[in-house]
Amino acid sequence: MRRAQSEGADAAEAYAITFTSQSVYIEDDVPKVAEERSETGLGVRAARAKRVAFSATTLASPADVRSAVGAAIAGLRRVPEDPDFSGLPTEAGKGEVRGAWDGATATTDTAGLLDAAKTFTDAVRQSKATSVPKAIFRIQDYTFRVANSNGIVANHRGTLVFAYLTAKCGSKGKFGEGILKAMNTSIRPIDFAAHGATVARRAAENLRARAFKGKLPGVAVLDPLDLGEVFLTTVGSAVNGEDVHKGRSPWAGKVGADVASAGVTVRDRPRMPGGLASGVADDEGNATQDRTLPEAGRLKGFFADRKHAALLGVPAGNGYRRAVATVEGAYTRPAETEPSNLVVEPGRKSLEALLAEVDSGVYVEKFAAPEVNPLSGSFAMEVRNATLIKKGELADHVKVALLTGNFYEGLKNVVGVGRDLTPSHAFVMAPGCAYVPPMAFDGFELVGQS
Amino acid sequence: MTEFMSAAVRALEKAGAGFGDVRTEDRTAFVVRVANEQIQNVNEVRRRGWGLRAFVDGAWGYASGTSGRSADAVQAARKAVAIARRGSAAGVPTSKLRKMPSTAITLEPKVRIEPRDVAGEEKVAAAMEVCRAERRDEVANTNASYADSDWRFELANTWGACLQWREVRIRIAGQAVAGEGDRRESAFDFRDGTAGWELVKALDLAEFGRGLAQEAVEMLRAAKPPAGLMPVVTDPGVSGLLAHEVMGHASEGDEIVKRRSFLTDQVGKKVGSALVSMYDDGTYPGAHGSIPFDAEGTPAHKTTVIDRGIYRGFLHSLETSGVLKARPTGNGRAQDFGRRVWVRMTNTYFGAGRDKKDEIVEETKAGVLTRKWISGMEDPVGGSFQAVTQSGFRIVKGEVGERVRGMTLTGDALSILKSVDRVSKEIALDGGTCGKGEEDYVPVAAGGPFMRCKIVVGGG
Repeated sequence: MRRAQSEGADAAEAYAITFTSQSVYIEDDVPKVAEERSETGLGVRAARAKRVAFSATTLASPADVRSAVGAAIAGLRRVPEDPDFSGLPTEAGKGEVRGAWDGATATTDTAGLLDAAKTFTDAVRQSKATSVPKAIFRIQDYTFRVANSNGIVANHRGTLVFAYLTAKCGSKGKFGEGILKAMNTSIRPIDFAAHGATVARRAAENLRARAFKGKLPGVAVLDPLDLGEVFLTTVGSAVNGEDVHKGRSPWAGKVGADVASAGVTVRDRPRMPGGLASGVADDEGNATQDRTLPEAGRLKGFFADRKHAALLGVPAGNGYRRAVATVEGAYTRPAETEPSNLVVEPGRKSLEALLAEVDSGVYVEKFAAPEVNPLSGSFAMEVRNATLIKKGELADHVKVALLTGNFYEGLKNVVGVGRDLTPSHAFVMAPGCAYVPPMAFDGFELVGQS
Repeated sequence: MTEFMSAAVRALEKAGAGFGDVRTEDRTAFVVRVANEQIQNVNEVRRRGWGLRAFVDGAWGYASGTSGRSADAVQAARKAVAIARRGSAAGVPTSKLRKMPSTAITLEPKVRIEPRDVAGEEKVAAAMEVCRAERRDEVANTNASYADSDWRFELANTWGACLQWREVRIRIAGQAVAGEGDRRESAFDFRDGTAGWELVKALDLAEFGRGLAQEAVEMLRAAKPPAGLMPVVTDPGVSGLLAHEVMGHASEGDEIVKRRSFLTDQVGKKVGSALVSMYDDGTYPGAHGSIPFDAEGTPAHKTTVIDRGIYRGFLHSLETSGVLKARPTGNGRAQDFGRRVWVRMTNTYFGAGRDKKDEIVEETKAGVLTRKWISGMEDPVGGSFQAVTQSGFRIVKGEVGERVRGMTLTGDALSILKSVDRVSKEIALDGGTCGKGEEDYVPVAAGGPFMRCKIVVGGG
């Protein structure tokens, strides 16, 4: 930072992150591959008047600092002015959020991950003809510091546990597969035996599922893991201050308007204890604070990084670069407006109670990929684990079908909100985490062969 | 070979690796992002490090780092062997790798204008020109980006290989978002490849941007797509998505070894109509997924996956070719120096046919024509897939009709390929990145001709 100023920057910011990572990959029930890695990197943002440039480098030697600063300073000569740049943060978040870092998890090595993998694999194999073709278990222990020429310094240390779990069952060329992800800041609360039982059940149901014929409008009850990803890409974009400022958000100009059913409240909670994206400071160093987004269906506001907060007149605190499944590559990009922990306020009903209220519909546990157009809200997602609901009871398992609709319209037709939150993330390198319960939506349609 | 590399290889051997290799990477990138004709980011990034792996009795141990000290490589080699031994002790079945001849080669990319020789200001101006051209009254938000990357690799292994190579890629993209009231619709497109600045020079940037704006505005009037099983004429990008998601992932040798692929016992069997041929070709000139060597040092290769409807074989790493007793195909790839090697595709595409696109449409009474892909997801176990398109058109009585919004295509892979009854002469490939499941992204391309087949369609 000092070097950047001595070389001609008016303002400078340095973001340094270091992490270690342990991974175990299960293939065909055995730990085929294990990895240990470590990496340290630096991102430098330099500004001169309204010009801003960024450079980043892996930190392998002191010379790397000089080259990163040199590249950022050289960049200032080639970039046009950014009229919206309003300087670097002036106040940093201090302290720590309980549960963001877990010492026992940080010291877990590949041998510890092998134990977790064995627990999971043993649970899967309790079901007849079921195996684990592929599973990934990963722990990261990371620390970052961000400092800028306004004198702020913010530190954060965290642990991330990520597991990608599959089970396969069947024989003679006919197989079914179940897939699940587990994420936490600590390895201890993750019940790998229960996850093993769940993916084994999903594999068996996927094998038994039949191609759905025709069309079925009605209520769709969605499992929180994939639903969380949908929330991140839609609501996370609609309340993103950068998207609002640029005119991309369908909720721009709608503060005070009803954008969802009365039962829907969504908050960004960067200081949630144990949250995967939790921290007292964001990746620019801004102090974080909770934001209420839609409350009882009514839009209350947006979140933003430093630059867009100034443009929109909202508090800063949502400038992020690190993702929650892995912090790899976090130093290679400048902070941008992103959610921290996007939390849907849970209801009081169990999943079973939600399902029991549905006369006709479908319960979707897993999509091929939960992708919704964030601008329009339209979607058609292939179901991989889905079960028809008839008069409150789960009936036939179906596949080769698309759940179609518009998610923004669906938010206005929420007919049930479950009580149990599950964390999930979107694209592996994208910041932001969703904590979402199972929810029931009216107005979607299941489409199969007809 | 550098002292660092030779120290690493010696340490792998001394620690007891049955096989081991070390790969160093030095990656630089220049990225520009503009929105609403304002600069958002100009980023210059350098990321480098090394990864070692050791193979011991069927299990792999990986260790990686970033320092340039030989002592650290020696320590990592010991660690990689110890990790592999731990896996082996946990019951991994013994297997053998397919040994490759030892070679010492240095390869430079065929780039006419090195991106590093082009001033940053020119790159910023190119992105800005696309963004500016997207501007019109109905467009609420204009976006463009430019990125080039220059990756340098060095690889040595315990079999005596010593390789050096570079991969240069470039990409320019735009996205226009049209708005009307609350409604937002967009159009996105890009050009990319293993190429230099000549790719940008050859593009009419203003026309590219104006086209995006026009398409985004048309999307505001687009209708909901029809739903159900119907004839679909896939454009080259969506055909590529079918090749990649439907058959490509299921042809990856590691999925075959695990019997996690519906194609496991299909070699020599009919999997599509006689009009269907499919290839994975890491040597395809200029394509985004082209590579001189894979991450194991195997030269890139053209592999015939389907030959006139008959399934011919799999894509391989050194390990899967050893297990399945096949020739390595240059498909052992890793996201970066810290990530493991998987069997991955390169450039995957369906071969050309004899029809013209217009004739295919004219002979279609009712159905849809797809327009550009957005994303896809594989299902190697079940043999289905999800392919998302940006938009499309209804086909009514042999004519292209109204535009429809983005669609998702799904269905049983073999049923779809067996239903292919028209294939165009013209083919094209689009670049992108591909994950294994949802991680480990590598640059790839996919493409093919316009193809007519029956697929389940739906859209919101």
